[in-house]
Amino acid sequence: MLTANLARSRTHEDTITPLFIDASEQQYRETAEELIQIFEAHLGEPKGDLEDTIDQLTIADTDYKVVQGLAKLLKDECEFETVAPVEPHEIRQRLFEKANESYPIVRQPTLGEDTQKLEVYSSVADALGITLEECHQGMYADLEEHKRLVRFGHRVSDECQDAAESSTTTQLTGDSEESYAADTITPDWLLTRYNLALAQAVLYDATEMRVRVWDSFATVFSYVKLFGLMHRIYPIDSNGKRVRSTDAADGYEAILDGAASLFSKSRKYGIRMANFLPALPLCDRWEMEADILDDGGGSTTQTLSFALDDTDDLSSHYAAQSDFDSDVERTLAQKWDRANTDWELVREDDVLDLGAEVMLPDFAIEHPDGRRVIFEIVGFWTPEYLDEKLAKIREANRDNLIVAVSERLDCSSGDFDGIDDRVLWFKSGIHVYDIVELAEKYAVEALPAE
Amino acid sequence: MRLSFDDGTLLLEDAPDAVPYAEWDDRVDEYRAQAQHYRPIRKWATQSDGQVTLEESTATVDEIEDDARAYSDFYLTPSVAIEPREYQQDALSAWQDNGRQGSVILPTGSGKTFLAVQAIADAGVSTLVVVPTIDLMNQWHATLTNAFGDQLPDGVGVLGGGSHNIADITVTTYDSAYRYINEYGDQFGLLVVDEVHHLPAPTYQQIPEMTIAPYRLGLTATYERADGAHEELEDLLGTVVYREAVDELAGEYLSEYETIHLQVELTDEERTTYDEEYQIYRDYVDSHDFELWKENGYQEFLKRTSYDPQGRRALIAKQRAENIARTAEKKLDTLDNLLKRHYNDRTIIFTANNEFAYEISQEFVVPCITHQTETDERTEILERFRTGEYSMLATSQVLDEGIDVPSANVGIILSGSASKRQYAQRLGRILRPTDDRQPARLYEIIAEDTVETYVSEQRRQGVAANADS
Repeated sequence: MLTANLARSRTHEDTITPLFIDASEQQYRETAEELIQIFEAHLGEPKGDLEDTIDQLTIADTDYKVVQGLAKLLKDECEFETVAPVEPHEIRQRLFEKANESYPIVRQPTLGEDTQKLEVYSSVADALGITLEECHQGMYADLEEHKRLVRFGHRVSDECQDAAESSTTTQLTGDSEESYAADTITPDWLLTRYNLALAQAVLYDATEMRVRVWDSFATVFSYVKLFGLMHRIYPIDSNGKRVRSTDAADGYEAILDGAASLFSKSRKYGIRMANFLPALPLCDRWEMEADILDDGGGSTTQTLSFALDDTDDLSSHYAAQSDFDSDVERTLAQKWDRANTDWELVREDDVLDLGAEVMLPDFAIEHPDGRRVIFEIVGFWTPEYLDEKLAKIREANRDNLIVAVSERLDCSSGDFDGIDDRVLWFKSGIHVYDIVELAEKYAVEALPAE
Repeated sequence: MRLSFDDGTLLLEDAPDAVPYAEWDDRVDEYRAQAQHYRPIRKWATQSDGQVTLEESTATVDEIEDDARAYSDFYLTPSVAIEPREYQQDALSAWQDNGRQGSVILPTGSGKTFLAVQAIADAGVSTLVVVPTIDLMNQWHATLTNAFGDQLPDGVGVLGGGSHNIADITVTTYDSAYRYINEYGDQFGLLVVDEVHHLPAPTYQQIPEMTIAPYRLGLTATYERADGAHEELEDLLGTVVYREAVDELAGEYLSEYETIHLQVELTDEERTTYDEEYQIYRDYVDSHDFELWKENGYQEFLKRTSYDPQGRRALIAKQRAENIARTAEKKLDTLDNLLKRHYNDRTIIFTANNEFAYEISQEFVVPCITHQTETDERTEILERFRTGEYSMLATSQVLDEGIDVPSANVGIILSGSASKRQYAQRLGRILRPTDDRQPARLYEIIAEDTVETYVSEQRRQGVAANADS
């Protein structure tokens, strides 16, 4: 994401708009192309050299914010590492200790007994078993500008090929730094990402965000949860008007903020909202409004309004849950048709608001005798996420809820300790009879609608 | 009732409706309160002896389950065995009498840090120290390590400037504290805020709001703010418990030193580039009639550089010219001579940028501190300089006087940042003569016939003017 000083936006009366760039404009395409080449050419080179080369591009260029912004997004795809045969701190300490008994260390010896720096360096190099050059370069190899560019996107510096195996799977982490494996880095990729980043940067000062979505609920709410936002949810119709019951809902409106927003307008959660934003373009139809606290004009703060929707042509680099879901769901529905059971699998579209947790059941499983159980397939998860979710289900007295959790989509490396009978673990596909077994156990008589 | 710390707030589960300071949170259907009210809420909940005052509700809480508190008690004795001065002792007592809450106003250089060390030992709980800048964070780290380092198994923690390590005593910057307080606001029982007059800001004031710390100490030399916002500090940290006027302490910290100015020429190559670049800047400025000597004239120039490509070029030209003057090759020769003369002394070399500090460090094999130096290593280098293990030090930072910086008897300024009036004086403050015959010395090496000459001139006048007053 962009640092706040690289944000570009315009304020007009009480609205704020990011200064999006036109990704088809030749000038930007060339800049993007040039920057990508610079990064590729600097694989294995010090970070300082890379930065100097980028700075050279902006000497007489008032678009330097764009250039530096694009460069920042590329840097987010990079890994820099200290390359030295011995810990630089150790080299330094040895050098200074040695030097302190040898002062004065001079450039132009005047007396016979004056020490020259070469003597200090070579004696420490010998003691550490490294070359003179390694000693001199290694001394400050851990400085930010001396660190080497070892990875750029998928490309890895030649010297670091060994470390290049693993990490090919796209994993979603709760980390606010986006560690999603990037696609191949192209000018299109970069310019698209840049516009999204400009919108995110406006949100750094957001106090509240209101979103309306008409599809991909599971995806959207799993990202709300992932980035630690709190919510209030209202069912809405196709025009975005609130409706009373979830049965009449075409979509959902969610008001997002954080724990302390209860007491005062807080910018504290702006960064989380910025992190959440890329989830919205995963929907076919969406709208977003945010309150932005602006104190740029000195002592007085004012609230600006920032609005975006699906016509703004933003695109997301986040993973959608729906592709996976629909796949699993379709297979399950097919299997169900072939299976021999009295239980029926029916679509369920309600969003169940359990306080801090949203349940997005995919199906209800109904028996002709009136028993019913609600069934959710959980997508991306972490052990904490699952723990909390199950606790909420227990607290909400929703005894007739069962969940299926994919072993594949564990977002963390840790194991899930909380054992719960109502969880059905599956690897690639869900077996009908496993669900029926759980349904027998947890189903309750359907009550008349509340 | 169950108290827990939730993302910078207190979640009050199964709380009676009479619970004070709380608001109903319809998002989770429980009461929620700001973390800063932890102390009074606990007090309210545990007042079970029937001593209910009139305005308090008679609703009692049968049982209180406190999952919010995550800080620990400990017993520390500061290893700096300096007797507190009288006013420091008075300030500490006043703070204790106020339930270990409130702000203390002491003039700069009067040992605010030392007072905080006493307060930490007195409170005996995990402590978070919040300071405005990374420089100050480093200084506090050095001081606190000096005072408590041996007694803390994990040392003094640092949050900010690239470090993220939380310990029983942790130092952090305002910015990092604001960013992380919702995660760590339950881990500290004492909150110390340095330069507390910066705290009343919509963002920073969430630092005290989001911590449960029952004990709070604010420190500053200039409490009152023009906008009156200091009044908010009373709610956040407590009232002002002690105030010491400036003149009662003045004069205690002056030290004697003499200043020697040395000029070097630019090399031919440096001179050519310098003149070219400076001319680009000059031409641009002259052709646009900026009144550069006025502050808003310079602002206007900067503003123009953001949309006028030539202006941007002029700004870069100015920076390049200044950099040539700052890092002039021949300054190293002069430095070479000075180091030959003073190798038996304790010498601190000041540079105005990191690169030059590192160049000197590599060239003359001297330890070096810049703002990039990690806090632990910085503390280690200063400690070694204090004990004499190192006799030389290069730095691009202004090291302020205090317990933090060991004194030296030779200071060498290789280049100065723009016209700060007290710059040289601040450097001079850490100079002490090693014996009576030889006064401490401050050398200033500047490049001849460049903007530096002008800046240095200003600086000297600043110091002279200051000395007269």
